[in-house]
This record gives sequence, C-alpha cells and structure tokens, in this order.
Amino acid sequence: MISIGIDAGAATTKAVVLHENEIAGYAIIPTGFDFRKAGEAAYREVLSKSGMDETKVGKILATGYGRSIIGFADKTISEITAHARGVGYLIPAAHTIIDIGGQDSKVIITENGKVVDFLMNDRCAAGTGKFLEYTAKALEISLDELGMLAQVSKNPAKISSMCTVFAESEVISLRAQKTKKEDIAAGLIESIILRTTAMVKKLRIKPEVAFVGGVAKNPGVVKAFEKALDTEMQLPEEPQITGALGAALLI
Amino acid sequence: MENDIFLRSLDLFKEAFPGRINQILKSKEEGKKIIGTLCLYVPDEIIYASGADRVILCGGKSAPIPAAEEYLPRNICPLIKSSFGSVIDQKCSKTKSCPHFGLVDLIIAEATCDGKKKMYELLNQYIPTHVMDLPQKPENQNALEYYIKELESLNDVLEKLTGNKITDVKLRNEIKSANETRKLLRALYELRKRDSPPIRGTEMLKVLQQMHFLSPDKFRKNLVLLLDELKVKKRENSGPRIMISGCPMASGNTKVPEIIENQGGLIVVEESCTGTRAFWDLVDENKEPMRAIAERYLKIPCACMYPNDRRIDQIIELARDFNVDGVVYYTLQFCHGYNVEKYRVAEALKKSGIPLLSIETDYSGADNEQIKTRVDAFLEMLE
Repeated sequence: MISIGIDAGAATTKAVVLHENEIAGYAIIPTGFDFRKAGEAAYREVLSKSGMDETKVGKILATGYGRSIIGFADKTISEITAHARGVGYLIPAAHTIIDIGGQDSKVIITENGKVVDFLMNDRCAAGTGKFLEYTAKALEISLDELGMLAQVSKNPAKISSMCTVFAESEVISLRAQKTKKEDIAAGLIESIILRTTAMVKKLRIKPEVAFVGGVAKNPGVVKAFEKALDTEMQLPEEPQITGALGAALLI
Repeated sequence: MENDIFLRSLDLFKEAFPGRINQILKSKEEGKKIIGTLCLYVPDEIIYASGADRVILCGGKSAPIPAAEEYLPRNICPLIKSSFGSVIDQKCSKTKSCPHFGLVDLIIAEATCDGKKKMYELLNQYIPTHVMDLPQKPENQNALEYYIKELESLNDVLEKLTGNKITDVKLRNEIKSANETRKLLRALYELRKRDSPPIRGTEMLKVLQQMHFLSPDKFRKNLVLLLDELKVKKRENSGPRIMISGCPMASGNTKVPEIIENQGGLIVVEESCTGTRAFWDLVDENKEPMRAIAERYLKIPCACMYPNDRRIDQIIELARDFNVDGVVYYTLQFCHGYNVEKYRVAEALKKSGIPLLSIETDYSGADNEQIKTRVDAFLEMLE
C-alpha cells in the first residue's frame, strides 16, 4: 500500500507518494484557478512519476489552503502540522521552520516533531513569494535573476514600503533615480527578510533552522536570511514538498 | 463534538427582539426616554433608576461601515465604524435589523479609547451625546472619588432629561435586579466548568449579545428558563477547551467563535465585554448605592486602563478555573489597547504553560479561510 499527501497551495499544488515510509515520487504543478482540478492533476502525475499503480493507493491526506476542496482525500490537516511532520522527517535536528510560500509566510517551532508554537502572516502579500514576484516584474526581471542579481549588490537600496503595491511604485522611483538594478534587487530581498525575521524573533529561534516553501529555492533570499539570523539554514533537497510529505506521513 | 439536543430557551432570546422593538416604540410614544450606550463602564442601574430605557449601540455588522468611512478614517477599529455608521445611516435605522438606532434620545458615551472619544464628537452632531470621563489609572488614590463625581453628573443629566428624581430606593432596586442577572450568568458559567459543558460558546455569545437589546426583566426571565432547561436536558459537548480573551463581539459579530467551534474546538469561557467583563463582579448592596456602583464598575479590566495587571491575573485565574487547553486572543484590527496588551498576556500565559493563538481581524469574511487554517493548526497542536 502507498499513501499520498497533497498540498493544495495558493500558487502550486504538490503531491508526494510514500511507499514503505520512503518517498517514492513527487509532483509540483501550478494551481491555477481550480484547487480540485490541480489536486487531481498532481495526483495523476505523482502516480505516473513514481511508477505506482492506482490500485495500490491506500489513504490520501490533503493539506494547504485548498485542502477542503480536495474531495477525494480521506482526511485533511492544516499545513502547519503537515510542514512540521515533513521537515521532522527530512531534517530531524530542525526545531524552527520558516516557510515562505506564494501567499503566506509562517514560522513554526517544534519539540519532538510536534508543533508547540507558530505565527503566520497571511493577511497580505508583504513578506511572501507574491511580493518578490510583483516587484521583480517592476524591475523587468525573472525571480531567478532577482536572486542572482541581489548577490552581487554592494549597496542594497532601502525599500521602506512593506506593502507590495507601494513597494512596486518605490521600485519605479528608485529606477528613476538611477539606482543600480542589483541594489534594488538586494533591497527587495532585504525587505522580505526584515518582515520574516521579526516573526522568527517573536517566537525565538530554536536551532536548527529549516527553510522551506517556494521562496527557499531562491539562493539570494537564503543567503540574506542566514546573514540576518546569523545562523545557517537547513534546506531540504526539494523545499516545496515538505507539506505534502508531512500529510502523507500523517496518514 | 456537538450535541444537538434542542434548547427552546435559546430561541426565546432571539424571538424576543422584535417584541422589544415594539415595546420601545410604544413606551417612547408614552414619553419614556431612550438612552443609547456603547460601553460597560456606563452603569445601567442609574439609567433604569431614572425611568429611562436603554439599548446598547455597539455595532457588530460590516454593512454600516462604508457609510461611516465617509467621515472616519479607514484604519480605525470596525466596532467604532460600525456603531457610527449604524447611527448616521438612515437606511440602517429604518431597516428591521436595527431600528433601535433611530429611537435614541440621548447617548451616554464614555472616554475609553481615543478612537471612540473622537467619534463621539462627530456622533454628537446627530444624536445628543453626553461623554462620561473615566479615571484611566483606576488604582490611583482619588480615582474612585473622581468616578463617583462623573456618576453624579450622569445622575443630573438623566434627571434633567427624564424629569424624574433618581432616589436611593430606586437605585437599590436596580442594583438588586442587576445583581440577580449577574448571579444567573455566573451560574451559567459555572456549568461550563464541567468536563462536558451543556452549552457551547457560540450559543452563550448570542445570549450575551441579547443583553444589549432586551429589557433587563425579559433577559433575566429567559436566563432562568435557560438554566432550568439545562438542568433537565442532558447536553454534553467536547473538544479542546478554548478561552476567548480580548475585544468585545457586538451583535452581528460571531465570526471567530463560529470558526473555532465549527473546526472542533469548544469555547468554555470568554474574557471579554461580551463575556465575564459584563457580569463578573456584583454591586455591594449594603453600601451607599452610588459609591457601591462606582466600586463595582471601576473593577472592569478594560485594556484602556493603566496599569492593567488585574486583567492578566484574571485571565490566568479563569484559564485554571475553566480548565482551559488554549487561549484564543481575539482583537479587532486597529484596537491598540488590546493589541498592545497582547504581549503581556502572552508572556503570562507562556509562564503558566497555556498555549495561545492570536487572531486580529475585522468584520469582513475576507480572512475566514486563513483564520480556519490557524485555528485548525492550533486545535491540532492542543490534541
């Protein structure tokens, strides 16, 4: 029997197949408008990627923002519990988890693999993947380029607007002042770091610190985080699947 | 898990509302004055002793907010905006849901938070508004005397408006019946200390919200019926035991408690103006009435007071007495008092080993799904 975890995220839907307590395969697809359709697509893709037959599927557990819409799941669980379990499996030494996704960012503190405290920023795009996505657009570069550029900056620009919309216009005025592109890129990343480190500090870091979610794939952000928190970040091989993995493990 | 045994008396609270409106309309025609209040620091006993009637005007609905935003800044708490909007928006006072806003002769307001104080200046342009001052350092030596003076001024204002004399006898009668109501509510809360409380938080909240509208007699009668019914019907509820602590939930606002209980939690106590703050302490019936009233009301632990350690002590005490598994700290957006005080409450709860989830929100449904995720995670954490 295999178990499947599906993380119906706001930006991407992730699925993990667990076979004898080992990851047999995973899939990451854009969510689009319909959580349910994306969930079904991720389910089919992860089965074909892992070479597993549908008849072998035991239980399916859904997590993420759209979890209640994944009708074919046997059960749902919040992404906070799911991430804690998934990270606990991949990085047992981690006790602080920073997850920055497309729509929200969260900090989770764990003890013996269980959640003991957490904070979420989910009311606005500030400090999330969306913030970087929008502001990169104002710089007319891709997200990957943003991370690369930021690393060569020697003098990061000061971006004072936390609000995504205002930050976008701040970027435009910085461009008008002939600020270097790499300095603006570094400034944008610093602003998201500032927001999230305030959350981490509120809960107080318990080493080790794991960084997951789509934004963890951006090396510029990772470097800036390590500097701000003065600690090394532990990254799973694939930082986007810890929620789905946790869901599969929690069955 | 939910227990579905029907409680007839719960419906009585709701059904009493239209009758109450008719009653107010009738008594207003007969010359009775209608007072509107927006805070627990304004003692009901004095208002009723003057022969006036009273309704609480705190707004818990989002519909009147756009009208209010024509006058008030957007980044001010939704309770202030909703209350102001309900008064000024004629469309609202003519609807069936809140006709009482149009019936008020005088508003007795109070100097609690800055947002409300400044709103009252504008409100005064629509309905005559008398603002009572409050000693914001209640532990000060002369705080009580000052508050008594404010109550005496209120006494004069009401006597002038109604033409009636507020006698000690009338005050004592009002104190006695208000204490009866407080005792009944304490008895109800006592039932919630059980391992399987017979009443859920969402049910209790709706009862307390009716305290804002119903006449004290009707409210008290319904409470007696509710207690009687709970005695005979074997209702049991379970789930992680939650305490709500923080801002008031005015009528129309049941958002967060509903999410908590729909997701499997069970609210066993509310440290709130729509909770313990509304009835916890009694007025001493043996003392001089005005002084006894002042002493009781000044004990209300609102976050506008400094210092407010008494609130923190009470939260810890309630958490223990009601065997709470976790506290949901509920605040309205831009309510600085309760939002800032959160830090000290969180510290005290941490020290006592009680988990805390904090939710800052408004009256819109825009963040319902996000709140659900947090509540799910919190309940999973408590299990």
